[in-house]
Amino acid sequence: MIFDFFKNKNRAKPGDPEFWKGYLASFEHDYRKNTPIRELRFVVFDTETTGLDVRKDHILSLGAVSVNNWQIDLSDSLECYVRQAYQANGESVEVHGILPNGRKETVDEGYAIRRFISYCQNAVLVGHHVNFDVAMVNKVLKGLTGRKLLNKQVDTAVLARRLAGDSQVYKQGTFGLDSLCQQYHIPMSDRHTAAGDAYITAILLLKLLARLEKRGVRTLGQLFR
Amino acid sequence: MDNTIPRRIYDFLKDFPPFNLLDKEVLLLLCERVLVQYRRPEEVVFQQGDAPGSHIYVVREGAVQLLREVNGETILVEQCDEGDLFGLRPLLADDHYALTARVSEESLLYAINVEGFREVVENNPRIAFYLASNYAAGIGKRYNGYKPSLFLEKDKLIDSNFPLLEVQSLEKSKDPVTCLPNTPIREAAAIMTGRQVGSIIVVDEKLAPAGIVTDKDFRTKVATGLVSLDKPVTAIMSSPVITVVPDITVADVQIQMVKHRINHLCITEDGTTDSKVIGVLSEHDLMVLQGNNPAILVREVRRCYNAESLRQVRERSESLLKEYIYQEVSIAFISTVMSEVNDEIIKRVIVLSEKEMEQEGHEKPEAGFCWLALGSEGREEQLLRTDQDNALLFDNVSDEAYESTKAYYLKLAGKVTYLLNQVGFEYCPGDMMASNPSWCLSLQEWKKQFSEWIFEPSPQAVRFCTIFFDYRPIYGDTVLAEQLTAHIFDSIQDQTVFLAFLGKDALQNPPPLTFFRNFVVENSGEHKDEFDIKSRAMMPLADAARVLILNARVGKINNTFRRFEKLAELEPHNQELFEQAADAYEILMRYRALQGLKNHNSGRYFAPSELAKMERINLRNCFQPIKELQALLTTRFQLSFLG
Repeated sequence: MIFDFFKNKNRAKPGDPEFWKGYLASFEHDYRKNTPIRELRFVVFDTETTGLDVRKDHILSLGAVSVNNWQIDLSDSLECYVRQAYQANGESVEVHGILPNGRKETVDEGYAIRRFISYCQNAVLVGHHVNFDVAMVNKVLKGLTGRKLLNKQVDTAVLARRLAGDSQVYKQGTFGLDSLCQQYHIPMSDRHTAAGDAYITAILLLKLLARLEKRGVRTLGQLFR
Repeated sequence: MDNTIPRRIYDFLKDFPPFNLLDKEVLLLLCERVLVQYRRPEEVVFQQGDAPGSHIYVVREGAVQLLREVNGETILVEQCDEGDLFGLRPLLADDHYALTARVSEESLLYAINVEGFREVVENNPRIAFYLASNYAAGIGKRYNGYKPSLFLEKDKLIDSNFPLLEVQSLEKSKDPVTCLPNTPIREAAAIMTGRQVGSIIVVDEKLAPAGIVTDKDFRTKVATGLVSLDKPVTAIMSSPVITVVPDITVADVQIQMVKHRINHLCITEDGTTDSKVIGVLSEHDLMVLQGNNPAILVREVRRCYNAESLRQVRERSESLLKEYIYQEVSIAFISTVMSEVNDEIIKRVIVLSEKEMEQEGHEKPEAGFCWLALGSEGREEQLLRTDQDNALLFDNVSDEAYESTKAYYLKLAGKVTYLLNQVGFEYCPGDMMASNPSWCLSLQEWKKQFSEWIFEPSPQAVRFCTIFFDYRPIYGDTVLAEQLTAHIFDSIQDQTVFLAFLGKDALQNPPPLTFFRNFVVENSGEHKDEFDIKSRAMMPLADAARVLILNARVGKINNTFRRFEKLAELEPHNQELFEQAADAYEILMRYRALQGLKNHNSGRYFAPSELAKMERINLRNCFQPIKELQALLTTRFQLSFLG
């Protein structure tokens, strides 16, 4: 029922940018409640930002990998470094530039988000404390389309807590990415790059899903209870 | 696009063969297309008989078992852990999977697309070779002289330049031979002879050097009649002496010697002729210091007069061994050199013992003898000092002379084995030594003994044979040994039962299945902590080589890998297997020496946890030819009927 509501509300409007039309179209054949987890496409992503204040801070980089059929296909991944635009007019210009120190190829913020939207399509979005990353993306998206992400979202921190037992009280940091990586034996070689964290989170997702599967979680509906 | 994630995969793969052979760019490109697969326990990655898939796999985390189903029975063939590559079938042959891969623990696999990798293989003969040899069949073919660098990283290589003269190296010459200026030449010569040195420093009352007299001075000035023997040494000494400081470098010593065209330098406290003499450096000392030259070591042995000095030479030869091993000098060469040194030590020990016998008044019997090295020394395969295995063979004597002859040789053998023990060759725990009356026999007795073993084979007899058949004459009358060998070959003619016994014995200790993490995995699936490289890998090869070479009636080749090389020549249809076996044996010898040097022991036992992943792979690959050889023995000697 709620899915239908989304569908009507989010029909493409005339004047919508092409990437947005394509994005909306992908939801026309959306996953159902009984879609097996193996058939879902998850996009696991992470943003690196100037700070933790969604209103004031900016995205520095964005990394994403996709998980489908219990595997991560590295040829289907995304890694963008956002050029920090200091010009006042804020106009989005598609510029590929190299930072003065020549380190990373950077792109405009709007371009990065358009690529991200086209990359995600109707996938289930996954992140560690995903709300923050979604909010950062939505802030930019709003400026581009006036609308927000429509994807279903899964927070690996929440999944981990669910496995550990929701009702209990835990020490702070128990469900932080670092301590979960330790708990699940995931090497953390390049944490704190967006792509590196996205990859680590994807491995974490796989391990969490396998454990949830043992508890009977096999479909999209069961994942979202 | 940036490539943080493929980079991660790259960082993992780059350390493992064959990916370590790839160019960085090529490997990174492959990594960009990797599938990272999550696999649950019991999951089947591919099934025996399946059509080849599109990926090959590397275990990133967890464990995968490779299984073969034969007649409804499932056999564990391999257990893969972190870094292991499996499922190469689609890459090597357009054929169905010969094995089933089943996940045994929660695993992450890197699935690498065959397309793309195939091109890499085609363009890179080293990779093709590695894959073909390590995964298609055991150790593999010899490939244009290329062998993968086996165990060592470059940083482990020892710097062979000897930069500084170490203090301890100087100790030896710290007790310089000196005399006062008024010493008569005759007396100086006596002192030098007594101390076995080639030079004497003439010192003043403050013990500062006034001059030096060397052997050459006696030759040119005294022996020619120019100077009388009764004159003081000052009449023939060279003066002034060239002096150096105690902490001089080898390079400086060489420069000084060349510059002054002299062979001796005098070390004084402050490096001048006005301070006390503390040592002499001869050109010979210099060679010894730099020296780790096998010819010098052998010459050194001949200058030794007691066990302690022999032990020191043997220890020096071990540092030479270390250098050779680390520089990956061929095992054939290393074993030749080390056997040469060992042989020389044994010879020297026998000479010293004979002298001792003489001094104690034991009369040398008329019948000559031959000293035989057995076991690994007999096979010229003893790199590190292990147990001594030896025997003594003396010429036939009359009944009347027998008692005294045997008594003499037993006593001699007792002295020899004792001295060898002092040098660092442990006594044989099974008492297979010439000092044992059973193994100190006349030619006639030895012939009888071998005939007994050959005509009435028993498991016990076979165990002796495995040691005694590898005898090699070291010292004395080698004709005696040749006569014995001729007798043995006459005897085994048509003695297929005996060879079958030997063949069966060679199957007693099959190699383990594989290494898995820190364990040795037995064929039963049992895990063990310790690997016995000698009995589980080297002996099976040595035993197989022995029985096959005896079966081929080839004598005089004792060395296991040379036996295999000969067999490869004799049996072209099995050439590949025998060459693989020879290679495997060399790898095992090298490995055992490495472990021994590292742990200061015989290197026989070690834990798989001491090995790096790649070392485990290399070692494990040696098991395949052993298994194939054992299968060959079973067929050739029809051992399955022997019960």
